[in-house]
Amino acid sequence: MTSIAPERSLREQFPRLARRGGRLDVRELERLRARARRFAEVHVRPRALEIDRRTGEDPGWFDWDLVRAGGEHGMLSVVIPKPAGGMGGLATQAAVVMEELCAACPGIAVIFGAHALGISPLLLAGPSQWDGVLAELAGSERSGEPLLMACAITEPEAGTDVEDPELLARARITSHARRVPGGFRLSGTKRFISNGSVARWITIMTATDPRRPAQTWTCFLVDTRSEGFAVGRVEHKMGQRACPAAELTFDEVFVPDERIVGRDGDGAAATMMVLACSRPPVGAIATGIARGAYERVLGWLEEDRAARGLLGRQHVQLALAGMEEEIHLARQLYMDASIEFDHTALGGAMSHPAVRALGHVPASVRGRAPVRGWLASDRARDAAIALLHRTTSERAVTRSLALSSMAKARGGDVAMRVTGAALELVGLHAGPVRAELEKLWRDAKLTQIYEGTNQLNRLEVYRGLCHRETIGCLPPLRAIHPGTGGKAHTNTDARAHLEAGALSCASVSGGGGES
Amino acid sequence: MSMLTATERAEITAVARELAHRELAPRAAALDAGGQDVLAECWHLLAGLGLDRALLDEEHGGSRLGVPGLLATIEELAVGDGGIAMCVLLCNAALATLAGEQLADVPAGARWALVPAAPGTELAIADGQLDGRVAFALGAHGADGLVFLLGGPEPAASAVAAGAAGLRLERDLAQMGLRAAPAASAELAGADCTPAPGGSGAQGAAVSVASAPALLRAGTAAIAHGIARRAYEAALEYAHARQQGGVAIIEHDAVSDMLSAMAVRLACWPQITADPAGLAVEEAQALVVKIAATDAAVASTTDAVQVFGGTGYMVGTGIEKLMRDAKYCQLFPEPNWLAHNELMRSQPAGRTAVKARPT
Ligand SMILES: Cc1cc2nc3c(=O)[nH]c(=O)nc-3n(C[C@H](O)[C@H](O)[C@H](O)COP(=O)(O)OP(=O)(O)OC[C@H]3O[C@@H](n4cnc5c(N)ncnc54)[C@H](O)[C@@H]3O)c2cc1C
Repeated sequence: MTSIAPERSLREQFPRLARRGGRLDVRELERLRARARRFAEVHVRPRALEIDRRTGEDPGWFDWDLVRAGGEHGMLSVVIPKPAGGMGGLATQAAVVMEELCAACPGIAVIFGAHALGISPLLLAGPSQWDGVLAELAGSERSGEPLLMACAITEPEAGTDVEDPELLARARITSHARRVPGGFRLSGTKRFISNGSVARWITIMTATDPRRPAQTWTCFLVDTRSEGFAVGRVEHKMGQRACPAAELTFDEVFVPDERIVGRDGDGAAATMMVLACSRPPVGAIATGIARGAYERVLGWLEEDRAARGLLGRQHVQLALAGMEEEIHLARQLYMDASIEFDHTALGGAMSHPAVRALGHVPASVRGRAPVRGWLASDRARDAAIALLHRTTSERAVTRSLALSSMAKARGGDVAMRVTGAALELVGLHAGPVRAELEKLWRDAKLTQIYEGTNQLNRLEVYRGLCHRETIGCLPPLRAIHPGTGGKAHTNTDARAHLEAGALSCASVSGGGGES
Repeated sequence: MSMLTATERAEITAVARELAHRELAPRAAALDAGGQDVLAECWHLLAGLGLDRALLDEEHGGSRLGVPGLLATIEELAVGDGGIAMCVLLCNAALATLAGEQLADVPAGARWALVPAAPGTELAIADGQLDGRVAFALGAHGADGLVFLLGGPEPAASAVAAGAAGLRLERDLAQMGLRAAPAASAELAGADCTPAPGGSGAQGAAVSVASAPALLRAGTAAIAHGIARRAYEAALEYAHARQQGGVAIIEHDAVSDMLSAMAVRLACWPQITADPAGLAVEEAQALVVKIAATDAAVASTTDAVQVFGGTGYMVGTGIEKLMRDAKYCQLFPEPNWLAHNELMRSQPAGRTAVKARPT
């Protein structure tokens, strides 16, 4: 198999990565890419067809050995913040890993991708949510008994409708969370949830009042060992089969207050943030699929006796050049969108002294009752949101979301075109390479559907870039803060007050400001 | 050989439509899963209607449908299942190249398949024995006999019974599309064969060997068209039923644009014309129609999955299968880029690829 070794470093390809003051360490990113490539070559590619066959026969079959092998290569902690024991990556790191893994097998890659998606609501909710489950996930990876996550947004009657706040207002939501003492009880069905049947923890979005889903959309962290949680049908899919997609049912599942991710009612904005962060990696999934097809067809043309003479044909040369061109453009798009999210939309918050200071606080200190209590408090959650408002804007996140959507939609189209063209070049008589290309072609179609269909993503591009709308992508600041005895603040007052809270927490916990 | 009248053809087409709807569509998932029993069951129904020998005359158990009638019929069958329609095409193409005495040895209801010459097909014939290898022979697994078209300047074909010594078929388990026409690789080591003469009907053969590839291409086009029809019908129905954004999704331009493009592609389907005897399609016309119809089917089935969203991606709904079947039509009997090559090779300077359609 021809593997296209990168001729230019990431820094050369994407100078924006190395911008002064940026939060990305390019050398670290190169190392991560090399590690993902090694994992893909040693563990993923050799098993891809066999796992596709087995899961085609039994959709519930799952290869935990591969997950363990991925854990040994750090593939499960890419987006877990450093304070919680992870690599501290964001969209860019996740995307670079996805391209490498998907060039080998998109189905296997998406096990790790869906895991990262499940983590992202916790990651984006701020430092108050980083201990606990994220630390447990990182620890499980180190111990060799990895745990997986999933993210559940889609419902049987609401797919596209739950991917956009405006549509959410009219969505036919059938799940809901009911207030009970000490927490909520969740009921309803979620559909097509990647990793849903194998995850230990699931971040789930649902309404606390189904008649007002947009206003009451809330993210909960659900332990799948909870009473009332059940896995329904595991879907028999066209492709990306290694990663199971399942129907999940919730029957009065109790979720305590401390497992609300972010704040009650902030789910619509949180979903937009999650999608702005996760769509560039989906663009990378698609790019990886296209690259995988291109590498395979090139290898076949160069090495297989049946292809002798074909490389001399102009048709073939033009087709290959077209593939290079499309893959190059798709990669530029997803990298641009990732960097935009990491640097511009969220970079300020993530590199804020208060946040960085938390990273220097030993976990043992963060685990002490007063600090833990503070981190889990409403005040800390409000502080995280204030910090977001201070360091970014709704317009910046909307723009980022639009670029992410563009990368996702275009990437999906590129994956379909390149895999289709590669299959056409080799034809039906080509032997084993045909089966690999057919699999990639089946895998590719999903990239036009999940994370919002390409149509929805393009409407997002229209709103964010053509129409220059600003979507409600940030949870609102709360003007009245319980800690002030109910005294009303202006947004500016609230911001300053809350940010001071964040800083004081960092110093209480012994971290001190670090620049 | 006198052909059926237009009315008789229309009647058979209507029967095929009904059969596709009532018998084939409900079995499409089982056929896709590779079930040999269900294939035998369907084949029994088709053979009962004489659709396995549609090009032959009554003396040879045929129904004299002629090529236009056969194409119209397999298009209808493909609305039910593309793979089974391909079995009908391959069987008719194979049997139509056999001489009368060869046909006499073919029992009623047998399923044969024509194996076209293609890249990767290396066959040599000497002293009535066939040697070589075919990497991918659609419909060959489980077939009762095969007719191999031999590449080379002089069109020739050889018939091999399935149990012949020296023939080894191995099922292609990776086959992605048209799975009701189960493919196999064929190893031939001194396999006993008899020449399939093809010709004008003098020896009984209905179709000349030279025109067999055009028949396969035109037939594949008809199958692709049937698949695209099914995709459109299913997507249109779903688009009226599924609600998002408070309305049926057909109300969204994003969806209705896709459906409209499917309708336009279907409307652009050209009538395929045959020679006066109704037994041969012109080579260039077959190529043009095959390229256009299969590209259109791939586009329409891909859009159909998109209209269905995540539901369309699930095997149980039968929508993604249409995409896989259409893709195989694009690659059979050769990928479309090679069909484009053939088309230009078949065109002397100053000729247009297709004759203007009669008005
Ligand atoms: C294998 C797989 C894995 C998945 N993994 C996850 C997961 O881990 N977590 C999760 O939450 N979800 C997941 N999904 C769900 C996925 O995000 C949805 O399938 C997707 O958002 C589309 O929703 P839908 O399938 O309900 O299609 P629908 O919303 O019903 O869309 C059907 C068609 O209508 C169009 N349409 C709908 N509304 C509009 C509109 N307002 N304007 C224009 N066009 C419109 C769509 O573009 C599409 O063409 C997964 C899906 C699949 C197939």
